[in-house]
Amino acid sequence: MSAAEATSAIDIDRSVGDFSYPESHEFDAGVGLTDKTIDYISGVKKEAEWIREFRHRALKIFRDKPMPTHWASDDLKEIDFDKIRYYLAHGQQPTRSWDDVPDDMKETFERLGIPEQERKFLAGVEAQFDSEAAYSNVKESLQKEGVIFVNSTEGLREHPEIFRKWFGKVIPTSDNKFSALNSAVFSGGSFIYVPPGVKVSHPLQAYFRINAENFGQFERTLIICDEGSEVMYMEGCTAPKFETTTLHSAVVELVAMKDAKIQYITVQNWSANVFNLVTKRGVAHENAEIRWIDCNIGSRLTMKYPGVVMKGRKARGEVISIALANDGQHQDTGAKMIHAADETTSNVVSKSISVGKGRSTYRGQVHIPKHLKGCKNNTECDALLINTKSKTDTYPAITVRGNQHATQHEASVSQVSEDQIFYMKQRGLSEAEAMSLSVNGFVNDLVREFPMEYSVELKRLIDLEMEGSVG
Amino acid sequence: MIADTETKPSSVLTTAPDFGATGLPQWYQDLQRSAWEASSALPLPKRTDEPWRFADLKRAAALEAFQTAASLDEATVKGLIVRSSKLEKTSGKFVFANESLAYADRPEADGLICLPLAEAVEKHAQLLQEHFMTQDATLGSEKFAQLHKSRAKSGLFIYVPAGVEITLPIEAYHWVSGENSSVFPHTLIVTGENSKVTVVDYYGSASESEAGLSCAVVDLVAGRGSKLRYVACQSLSTTSSNIHISSTLASADADVKSLQVQIGSAWSRTESVSHLSGKGANSDMLSVSVPSSKQQVDQRTLQHHGEAHTTSDLLYKNALYDQSRSVFAGLIKVDVGAHYTDAYQTCRNLLLSDEAEANSMPGLEINADQVKCSHGSTSGPITDEDVFYFNARGIPTETAKQLITYGFAAEVFGKLKHEAIEAMVGQLVEEKFRQLS
Amino acid sequence: MSIEISDLKVNIGDQPIIKGLNLTFPKGEVHAIMGPNGSGKSTLAKVISGHEDYEVIGGKITMDGVDLLEMEADERSREGLFMAFQYPHEIPGVTNANFIRAALQARLPKGEELDAVAYYKQLYAEMDKLEMDRKFTGRAVNEGFSGGEKKRNEILQMAMLKPSYAVLDETDSGLDIDALKVVSEGVNRMRSPERGFLVITHYQRLLDYIVPDVVHVMKGGKIIRSGDKSLALELEERGYDWVLDETAA
Repeated sequence: MSAAEATSAIDIDRSVGDFSYPESHEFDAGVGLTDKTIDYISGVKKEAEWIREFRHRALKIFRDKPMPTHWASDDLKEIDFDKIRYYLAHGQQPTRSWDDVPDDMKETFERLGIPEQERKFLAGVEAQFDSEAAYSNVKESLQKEGVIFVNSTEGLREHPEIFRKWFGKVIPTSDNKFSALNSAVFSGGSFIYVPPGVKVSHPLQAYFRINAENFGQFERTLIICDEGSEVMYMEGCTAPKFETTTLHSAVVELVAMKDAKIQYITVQNWSANVFNLVTKRGVAHENAEIRWIDCNIGSRLTMKYPGVVMKGRKARGEVISIALANDGQHQDTGAKMIHAADETTSNVVSKSISVGKGRSTYRGQVHIPKHLKGCKNNTECDALLINTKSKTDTYPAITVRGNQHATQHEASVSQVSEDQIFYMKQRGLSEAEAMSLSVNGFVNDLVREFPMEYSVELKRLIDLEMEGSVG
Repeated sequence: MIADTETKPSSVLTTAPDFGATGLPQWYQDLQRSAWEASSALPLPKRTDEPWRFADLKRAAALEAFQTAASLDEATVKGLIVRSSKLEKTSGKFVFANESLAYADRPEADGLICLPLAEAVEKHAQLLQEHFMTQDATLGSEKFAQLHKSRAKSGLFIYVPAGVEITLPIEAYHWVSGENSSVFPHTLIVTGENSKVTVVDYYGSASESEAGLSCAVVDLVAGRGSKLRYVACQSLSTTSSNIHISSTLASADADVKSLQVQIGSAWSRTESVSHLSGKGANSDMLSVSVPSSKQQVDQRTLQHHGEAHTTSDLLYKNALYDQSRSVFAGLIKVDVGAHYTDAYQTCRNLLLSDEAEANSMPGLEINADQVKCSHGSTSGPITDEDVFYFNARGIPTETAKQLITYGFAAEVFGKLKHEAIEAMVGQLVEEKFRQLS
Repeated sequence: MSIEISDLKVNIGDQPIIKGLNLTFPKGEVHAIMGPNGSGKSTLAKVISGHEDYEVIGGKITMDGVDLLEMEADERSREGLFMAFQYPHEIPGVTNANFIRAALQARLPKGEELDAVAYYKQLYAEMDKLEMDRKFTGRAVNEGFSGGEKKRNEILQMAMLKPSYAVLDETDSGLDIDALKVVSEGVNRMRSPERGFLVITHYQRLLDYIVPDVVHVMKGGKIIRSGDKSLALELEERGYDWVLDETAA
């Protein structure tokens, strides 16, 4: 079976994502970013005055902050903020029924396999096409239990009593230049509230797609899991291949109250000219658990370091990460673990694969301040280099204060050995197949962390990327 | 106003040295003058400088308080010479007090050059011009390296010709005396093909109650197939500042082992680079620190593999007491084409108090495949299980902890495989333990 | 129908290892190669299977008339050649079930999908014959296996891939007597007029269980003598030097 021919339930591979439709947007904020852009977005959304002010403040912070090129890639300088379109939308109300979705979008989503998925097993789907959610639905049973799953505009407008308290609190606007940019122009994304004790049995899911050239997508996601509740959220991203670069800069905030559990799963497969600069952080209260399960295969440059602030006793944080960097790609990913209470534990497992001239980087931060007891961190990062020109870097930073904690960090760099490839070739596998199998073997223990449908897809994506890497 | 500037001590950081007063050759004066211009043009480290992440920048800025060291009276010098007696057997020994040569037991061997820097620039201008500070500091202290260059006149130049083996170690003592005095000791070791040498530098304060600065630069140039062992022992007063910038250049089949021992000083910044530039070159980088009270050790390292089939192994250990603090930032860098590199980097922090702090930044930059590279970093206390095993054999907890901590440190200097140096460093570490208990 | 090796010369670096070797083993027969350490036996096995570390500087190897030296290792395998390795490689993270499945899939025409149900049925049947635990399918290939488990795994793969020709390189090394019997039975079950075997071994022991039709003695990179199974017994009794002396004489 050839990988490219494969079709499956969730098709997010590039051969499927690489299509687009003529644009005809009802709302368009134009090119470039000024105070007027913000007033336009806020006006279209009919936002409350505090949100408009929030956006203006954020724009100022964005302008004042320098590019973080003193530690990050110089490639960031290639982003021309004046040429980006910051808001494009068809209309304001997300459609609740599939029949009401405009035809061209429907076609897009059908090609992405979304409604089909929803019928099969998903609890709710939010699909974002450029700036606004085009289709969104939450199963009735969930709604009855009080689960709220809406987009950011609706969340802030209809449920301010729930969302305003945490909005912009986990990740302050000034956290970094791109969180400030998002705070200024955010649109779409998912706002989710799970009431106490409710365990959402099926994953909630979102798709993000950039359909317009030069467009920046800035979705904002906030998930609040109240005491003892549980939710799994999955997101997938695609974009067609445009001639010019595109920017995706999201902010994702998670709040897990006492005993709550949040799993956040991402399969990122942007096309290779997207700058993917994302800030993701969660706060875990007492005995709560936040897991980021992250896979980065696409984009030109990804900078993403999901974090967990462990605020309550016995809170747990975890980042499981797979990155694959091919020619022209730089996957700059990692994790931030901030221990802020006794007996908190964190775990980071990161595996990266560099193919061709691809470069993968791990950056990590672990912080255990003084006067805490019994905190633990374990970090493992392993890098696999496929070709002679492949690159990998590792830059962790670990701070531990006091004598009641234990941290451990290990990293290694390896190759697929020639003997291993030969052994497989002797059994009749071609070199590329042998390489794919080895690479899949390298990430196998992490792929298992993804839901079945996604792990099948991941394997296929890896096979695709490995084609042409040998010989 | 004029009187004011005269009485105000002049900072080594902001005041140009009197180049002519050294009486050193013109070429060297010119070199020092341009180094001074470079140093004063460079800014002090800033918060956003990556090589100074987690660093105590106030300490770097406070270097402005240090002045040129004054010459010492005879009695003080004699006292320091008496204290310069760490190793029993040496093939040569030199004592520098406030940068002046106080004592010299010159080693003799066929073709061996082992001279105080001031003499070497006179007699071996060509060799010096070829090797003196030819490698730039790259780990953050560019300004301080240039400052050192503009003032260096003490320390040793050692040239071991091809095939010559110096069996016993050569020792150099660098004493700083007087409140806010500063010294700029230099060490340059060049080994010829298949030669062998061991050199030990000591950095110490004349008085425990005086704050001094030692700003040292050490260049090790290891020729093909040579074997070079280098040890730096720093036990300055606990109010002093220490900067130690060292670089190793290892040619084909050269084997270099260097050890840093950090006992004293309020703030000690060490920057160590190994360039592996020939097939079969190896560099082992070792360090052991035992900071206590509010002492800080700030360690930056680079293992740079520029050629295929080279190896390096780094082991840095910090046993942290009281409110002490450590920063370790290490990088293994493998250049394009440097295949079959074996590079390892390990940093271990033993946290012995509730207020001690360890920061680790172990890094990798790999640009070639077919390499074996890994790093590991751990920070943690002595565990109950460790202690229990000792208790079960009848050893009380306090003794157990001391033994465990000593063992923690001893693993590092044991790797030098030199009994006399091992014993000497062991003694320094034990002395520190005694002060603590 | 046979594998024919004629005037084969192989170097590792500048060092000649095989120095003009001639050997033919046809379908339906079991040939054994015996020889002292360093005679070039394992090199021969690797060259037949297409390992790139060895430089063939002269001679030919054909399989049913097809030039093997022109083919990549995986093409040779798909063409019907199997090699049981002396030191089977460990493949972290890849399960045995997936590995064998991938190997079988690689033999199907493009677009055709392996029947998973039939595959597992066959796999379990073969595993039962080799007295292998079912848990084995979920373990990574050869990772953490004992010597005996690794060799059983080689035989299992052979049983699943059904080659036309199999080269067994020191398959008896690392096996206790029970494991040796199981492995030998596995090989014997596969003996057929449609399949040829080349069994490389240092000791006669294995040949008690896999009885050869022809025994070749290899030394100094050449076949220096061939005979029936009694030659193996004679070698066991008199050592290799005897053959060498006689050949020289």
